[in-house]
Amino acid sequence: MNRSGSYATFFVGDFFFGIPIAIGVEVTKGQEVTPVPLGPKEVAGFFNLRGQIVTAINMRVRLGLPAVDHGSDALSIFFQDQDHLFALLVDRVGDFTEVTENTFEETPSNLDPNARELIVGVHKLADKLLLVLDTHKIVSGINLVQS
Amino acid sequence: MDNNDQILDEFLLEAGEIFDQLDLDFVQLEQTPEDKKLIGNIFRAMHTLKGSSGFFAFHRLEKVAHAGESLLSKLRDGIFTLNEEMTDVLLETSDRLRAIVDGVQKQRREPEGDDTTLIQNLKFLTEGGVGIVKAITTPSAAPAAPVSPLVEEVIEITQPALEETILEVAAQDLEQEILEVIKEASIDAAVNEAESSKELAAPVKVSVELLDKLMNLVSEMVLARNRLLSFARTSGDLAFNNTVRRIDTVTLELQERMMKTRMQPISQVWSKFPRLVRDIAQDCGKKVELVQIGAETELDRTLLEGIRDPLVHIIRNSVDHGIEQPAERLAKGKPELGSVKLRAFHENGMVVIEIADDGAGINIPLVKQKAIQLGLVTAERAEKLTERELIDFIYLPGFSTKAEVTNLSGRGVGMDVVRTNIQEIGGTVDIATSAQGTRLRLSIPLTLAIMPAVFVRSKQQSYAIPQVNVIEMLRYEPREGVPGVENFYGVPVFRLRDKLIPLVFLNYELKVDDVMPPTDEPLNIVIVQAAGIRFGLVVDEVLYMQEVVVKSVGPLLKGTPVYSGSTILGNGRVALIFDINAIAVRSGIIAKLADNQFEQDISAVLGANNESQQMLMFDLLGLERMVIPLETVDRLEMIAASRIDRRGNEAVVLYGNKIMRLISLAHYVEGATQKSLYGDETVPVIVHYHHDQPVGFIVKKVHNIVNVPTQVVMVSPPQRGIMGSVIVNDSVMSILNVQEVLNMSGLGPHHEAGISGADFVDNDVITMDREGK
Repeated sequence: MNRSGSYATFFVGDFFFGIPIAIGVEVTKGQEVTPVPLGPKEVAGFFNLRGQIVTAINMRVRLGLPAVDHGSDALSIFFQDQDHLFALLVDRVGDFTEVTENTFEETPSNLDPNARELIVGVHKLADKLLLVLDTHKIVSGINLVQS
Repeated sequence: MDNNDQILDEFLLEAGEIFDQLDLDFVQLEQTPEDKKLIGNIFRAMHTLKGSSGFFAFHRLEKVAHAGESLLSKLRDGIFTLNEEMTDVLLETSDRLRAIVDGVQKQRREPEGDDTTLIQNLKFLTEGGVGIVKAITTPSAAPAAPVSPLVEEVIEITQPALEETILEVAAQDLEQEILEVIKEASIDAAVNEAESSKELAAPVKVSVELLDKLMNLVSEMVLARNRLLSFARTSGDLAFNNTVRRIDTVTLELQERMMKTRMQPISQVWSKFPRLVRDIAQDCGKKVELVQIGAETELDRTLLEGIRDPLVHIIRNSVDHGIEQPAERLAKGKPELGSVKLRAFHENGMVVIEIADDGAGINIPLVKQKAIQLGLVTAERAEKLTERELIDFIYLPGFSTKAEVTNLSGRGVGMDVVRTNIQEIGGTVDIATSAQGTRLRLSIPLTLAIMPAVFVRSKQQSYAIPQVNVIEMLRYEPREGVPGVENFYGVPVFRLRDKLIPLVFLNYELKVDDVMPPTDEPLNIVIVQAAGIRFGLVVDEVLYMQEVVVKSVGPLLKGTPVYSGSTILGNGRVALIFDINAIAVRSGIIAKLADNQFEQDISAVLGANNESQQMLMFDLLGLERMVIPLETVDRLEMIAASRIDRRGNEAVVLYGNKIMRLISLAHYVEGATQKSLYGDETVPVIVHYHHDQPVGFIVKKVHNIVNVPTQVVMVSPPQRGIMGSVIVNDSVMSILNVQEVLNMSGLGPHHEAGISGADFVDNDVITMDREGK
């Protein structure tokens, strides 16, 4: 994964995340999500993006944070992983941010373990830390078999 | 992909086609060794391969093809006649060439290997006379020949399965899949082209991804169209409405055409089978011919992949287990040459594939003995099981009646795999067997991409149930004096027409409700069939039926098997599609029912004869308790006497868009009293289709469906209109002789009526019973 480039940024709880826009990010709001009873708890449900089925992942649950019902105001960040579309339901969407390799650092060891396993590193920005997400790990780390 | 790669891919594509054709041609040639045209075809195919391999400097390929070609040229010129040894060596040649090409495909270069023996054998055959050939090559070539085709076959069979799994990671295999599609697309295009004009235009190659994208766009367009239609309904603008209607028809046609691009003839899968049958038969020392009927029947591409392995299993079983040794066949008075018949055809929106052999059939007593031996059933209970229930055991993993394991079959994997694979693609398996042979019947949906589904509501969400699983839908209202929902060893059950139906409460199963709902309230029940049992799914509401475009649910629901897919509704929302099998398994009813030896049929519990058939009971004036075989009943109607017209001396009534002849049964059945009808009267009519024409039998009253023993007591002396009697619960019922009545009323020989209307009949009986009361 490239350490420099443009990132789409968003907030979940106190975390400030970024994913490279090179993997095809899109942001939408107000999707009607179809819930999945018996499904993994991180999966908020499915919705339709121009005829394609999108799996919505609740980022708060994924990070082990208390769930918040965003209702129809839920914001989604899209990305594709192995032929399937995913969307992250997040609290707030930030700006597109341009970063260079100079600000990149390995993952700090004192980071919340729930977040640490999902990121490839951090960018030290002037005012805060931008956590660079590994989108594949968000998907692959979900425990598929629930009770 | 650079230019060279592209040329190589085209070569691989062409080679694949050549090999498939070669297999077919060789087997055909064995039967008609004198067919010069066929030899010419094979020769040309070999020659083409040789030419192309020379271009790529594939030396092994070139040498082997050259040696094969030399032998073939002698055959073509009539210097030799084809014998079995030649066929074996030529088949081995074809296999070797295929193996080399497969290697090229994987490694992008020619694989290493030694072909000296094969080339020597070919040279012996080419140079020597027939007699010398036999003497010299038998020791060297014959041992190799039976082994190597077998090994090749195994590789061929496992490869598609492997490809499926490796597909996600291996780009190379993906490429191959695309190639296959391109090949198929170009064949289709070529065929269409050939029909329209004599000149063959170059086929257009389209990638499978592009096709999938187009398919997605079409489904999206269907959704947009649906929204447009609802606007048009409320709009008074004529021009706008006409435009919408035009868009509607074009969209529909677009959708249909798009689906067609995914359809391929079943011969794609079948083409490998003549060779398979030949090889297995030769290994077992049997003589078997393979007959194919309906090879042009089309199926969705993904479904074709799904039926390949099951069909291979079944055909192996038929040839290895089913067909007897030639001597045994002759002793039984069967022709020495066994036959396996493949037949494909459309029926009720499904594709049916039948595999029938004329072998010994399934040894039912042996199955019973094995089942007892394996502790699957107690000896006492096994005696009570019907033949059909016993046959069900062969679907269990590890169940085999074969005493010794051959390298072909007998390991007890097979039928369970067959059934699982077929069920995965939404199909069903049915077996009929006798001493004259075994017939397997696979019913498969035309396409996985679009299927009819019943929508139900659970809380605020709607879910789709594949219609293939749905038997009927009903609303259950508890009434005084009627047993409601009962508890059967921890399984809630209710009674439907003398059967105990276990219930699964959807909300509870999906954990959207924590407690079981009270059972003294009306229930909306969808009766579904899956995993060999019939059960009622209790839902909040049954909504509607609709054709749905099935989409994947993606990787995150792999651990949640209760959903088989998803679909997009007209309002743009996503709805999940249930996997009824998985729901049955998850609810645990299957295990609970098996533990308690649950009998769905109450009459069986009561110890009635298992050998029974269903009949409809009705009354005639002066003659009560008549029954008519249910398969001759297509519908039940109430018809007002005022609607009845006369045509000559016949009574007729307008029925749908047809004219239905009415027959007063009392007129033809001995012992019944005739009575004329009055205008204000409404009479029950049993509708029977005779040569596609409705015929109505006027009766006094229709009761319900009864199970009657197949044992019929003949009436002596014969009574007019009555076939015989049966005894049910100590009372005598007379069976109507439908054919005799039709004959007497001037309608020709009896025509077999379909039983497809059986479920409608069931429902109607209930309605009429209520009206009658």
